[in-house]
Amino acid sequence: MQALLALAGKDLMLLRRNRGHLFFTFVWPLVAALFFGTVFGGGGDDNGKITVRVVDEDQTPASAQLIAAVGRMEGVETTPATREAGLDAVRHSKAAAVVIAPKGYGDAAERLFYGAPPEIELWVDPSRKAEAAMLEGQLMGASMERMQTLFQGGDAAAKQVDRAIADAAGLPDGGDATLVKFLGEVKTFVGGRPPASAAPAPAEAGAAKSGGWEPVSVHRHEVQDETRGPRSGFEVAFPQGVLWGMLGCALGFALSLVTERSRGTLARLRTSPLTRTHVLAGKALACFVALLGVQALLFTIGAVAFRVIPSSVPMLVAGCVSLAAAFVGIMMVVAVLARSEQSAGGLAWAVFLPLSMVGGGMVPLFAMPAWMQAAGNFSPVKWGILALEGAIWRGFTWADMTLPCGILVAVGVLCFSVGARLFARTEA
Amino acid sequence: MLTLSHLRKTYGAHVAVDDLSLHIRAGEVFGLLGPNGAGKSTTVSMAVGLLSPDAGTVDIGGQGAPTQPEVRRLLGVAPQSLAIYEDLSAEENLRFFARMFGLSGAALRTRVDAALALADLQDRRKDAASTFSGGMKRRLNIAAAMVHDPKLLLLDEPTVGVDPQSRNAILERIEAMRAEGRTVIYTTHYMEEAARICDRVAIIDHGKVLAVDTVANLIAAHGGDPLLTVTTSDGPEQIRTRDPVGDLARVAAGRTVLDFRLDRADLEQVFLNLTGRTLRD
Ligand SMILES: Nc1ncnc2c1ncn2[C@@H]1O[C@H](COP(=O)(O)OP(=O)(O)OP(=O)(O)O)[C@@H](O)[C@H]1O
Ligand SMILES: [Mg+2]
Repeated sequence: MQALLALAGKDLMLLRRNRGHLFFTFVWPLVAALFFGTVFGGGGDDNGKITVRVVDEDQTPASAQLIAAVGRMEGVETTPATREAGLDAVRHSKAAAVVIAPKGYGDAAERLFYGAPPEIELWVDPSRKAEAAMLEGQLMGASMERMQTLFQGGDAAAKQVDRAIADAAGLPDGGDATLVKFLGEVKTFVGGRPPASAAPAPAEAGAAKSGGWEPVSVHRHEVQDETRGPRSGFEVAFPQGVLWGMLGCALGFALSLVTERSRGTLARLRTSPLTRTHVLAGKALACFVALLGVQALLFTIGAVAFRVIPSSVPMLVAGCVSLAAAFVGIMMVVAVLARSEQSAGGLAWAVFLPLSMVGGGMVPLFAMPAWMQAAGNFSPVKWGILALEGAIWRGFTWADMTLPCGILVAVGVLCFSVGARLFARTEA
Repeated sequence: MLTLSHLRKTYGAHVAVDDLSLHIRAGEVFGLLGPNGAGKSTTVSMAVGLLSPDAGTVDIGGQGAPTQPEVRRLLGVAPQSLAIYEDLSAEENLRFFARMFGLSGAALRTRVDAALALADLQDRRKDAASTFSGGMKRRLNIAAAMVHDPKLLLLDEPTVGVDPQSRNAILERIEAMRAEGRTVIYTTHYMEEAARICDRVAIIDHGKVLAVDTVANLIAAHGGDPLLTVTTSDGPEQIRTRDPVGDLARVAAGRTVLDFRLDRADLEQVFLNLTGRTLRD
C-alpha cells in the first residue's frame, strides 16, 4: 500500500512538473467549455430571469393582488395562463414554475389569524430545487405584503376585521374569547369601533391556541420537465469540456507509462519487489486522482462563474467517479498497446475521436441525428456525458443514473483488466 | 550468489545468448567482458527477471528465480540505458526508488544520503536530473541501484560516458562495496577496468562464455608469451618469447639495439587469442 501511494505520488508530482500535461488537463478543457458554452447560447435563458406561469383560479381581489405581487418579484418573469397550459409549459421546458391561486384563496385570505391559511400551489420540476426555494420564499414575502395593506387601515380592512370577529364568535366551541378580543384591538388599530361582544380574558390563555397559525401555506408540487433542456449553453459545454479534460489527462498518463517504458524507469520498477499489477495500479490510482481533480476544478468554476448548478451533487459525484474509472481503463489499454510516445498519441486520438464524435463530445447529444445517437450507445463518451448531464440538468433519479454509471464502471474495469493482461504479456 | 544455468535467448533467428552458464560467488566482483552485441545486457536482463529466458534457469542467493518479488529484494540494478526520472530531483529519484523497496522514515533518509554521497551529488540533490550532465546522470543511475542496500548489484556498463575522475570514483566505490561483502556484477568492454577491479572475469562473445577465471589466470592461460619489440638499425622487430632477456641479448649480439619494449599479455590479447579479433572491432 505504501509503495502504491508512493507510485501514485510520484506520478502526480511528475504531472505537476509537466507543463504540457497540465495545460491539456486543466486549461484546454476550460477554454473548450467556455468556447462551446458561448457558442451554444452562453449565459442561459433570456436575461437570466425565471419564467413563471401564473394562474388565477380564484378571481378575487386577494388572488389578483397575489398574482401582481409575483409579477413584481426580483428576477421573475410572469405570464398568465390556465392550470393545464401552465403545467404543460413546465413539462415542455417553456417555464420554470407555475404559481396557482386556487379557488378559495381569497376567502381564506380574508380570515385572519385563524382557520386554514390561504393556500398557494407552486409547481416546479424536481431538478429545479434552487428556483423552487427562491419562489417559495418570495411567495411568503408576497403574502406578508397583503398583511401590510391590511394594517395600513381603510374601509376594506375594517370590514375584513368585522367579518373575522363574526366568524370567530361563531366558532363551534362557542368562540375564542382571546381571538375576539385580539381582533377588537386590530379593529381599533385599523380605525373602526371596538366590537360589543369583546370580553376580557387572560392574554396568555389564547396565545397557545393561535400559535400554529401561518399567514399563507405554499404547497410545492412536482411536475416533470419532460424535454429536460439545459438551462444554458454552459450546462452542455461544461460536461463536454470535462470530457476533453479527462482525455487530456488520461492521454498524459498513457504517455507517461509509455515514456517510463522507453526511458527504462519501468524496467527499474520491475526489478523492485513490486508486481506488475502494483505498477499498473499505482499509475491507475494517480490517473484516477488527477481525473477527479480535473472534474472538481471544472465543475467548481462552472458553478461559481457560469451557474452550472447540478440538480444533485451526490449524483454528479457518482457520475464523475464512474467517468474517471472508465477513463483510467481506456488510458491503460492505450498505454499498453502503444509502443512509443508517438504511437500512444496517435492511438489515443484514433480511439477517442470517433468515440467522442458519436458520443456527443463535440456536437451535443440532443443535436445529433437519430442514427448517430444510436451509434453513440457504443461510446463511453456518450454515457459519460449522460451521467454528468443527468446530474446537472436532466433531472435524473438514482435509477436513471444506474445505467450510465454502471456502463462507465464496467468499461473501466473491463479495460483495466484487459490492459493488465496485455501488460503482463508484453512485458515478459 | 547468482547461478545462471544454460540460459538461452533468441530474437527471431538471432541468438543473443546461447547456452550460457555462470556461477557468481558471494562477495566477489565479477566482470562480464565482451564487445558490443556480445549479449552482456541480455544476460543481465535475464538475471534480474526483466527478460524471461527461452531456456535455462536463474537462481539468486539460493532463493529461486527473480520472477518472485521477494527474491528481487536482494537485487540492485543499474541498467545500461539510464533509468531515472528526469523531472524529479536527484533526491526525489532516490527517495522514490528506496520506497519501492519498502524503506521509510529514518532508514530511508540515511540510505538516500549515503547514495547521494556515493554518487557525489550532495550539492545537486535538489536539482532536477534533467539539468545534470551525462556523467552525473550515470552516477545517479548507479546510486538508484544501491539506495536500498542490495546484496547483489548488477551494473551494466556503469562507466560509459563518465570522465576519468568520476570513473575512478565509481571504481573505488565498487571496491568499497566488495569490502562491505556485497556481490557486484559488472559489465564492460574496458579491459583496464575489468583488470583493475574484477576478482574474476567471464569473456563473452556471440552469446557464449569463452573463458571464466581470474584476470591473472586468463592471461596465463590465453594471453600467450610476452611480446618483445626491439628496434635496431634494420627497423622494429617483434618477438614472442618466454625468455625476453635471452632473446634481447641474442639480437644485441648481431646488431645495434636502438630501443626495446616488453609487453606482457593483457585481456585484450586474451580476447584476440580467444576470438581472433580485437575487443573493439
Ligand atoms: N530487443 C531486441 N530485439 C532484437 N534483438 C535484440 C534486442 N536486444 C538485443 N538484441 C540483440 O541481441 C544481441 C545482444 O545484445 P546485448 O544488448 O545483450 O549486447 P551487449 O553485450 O549488452 O552489447 P553492448 O556492449 O553494446 O551493450 C545483439 O546482437 C542485439 O542486436
Ligand atoms: Mg549492453
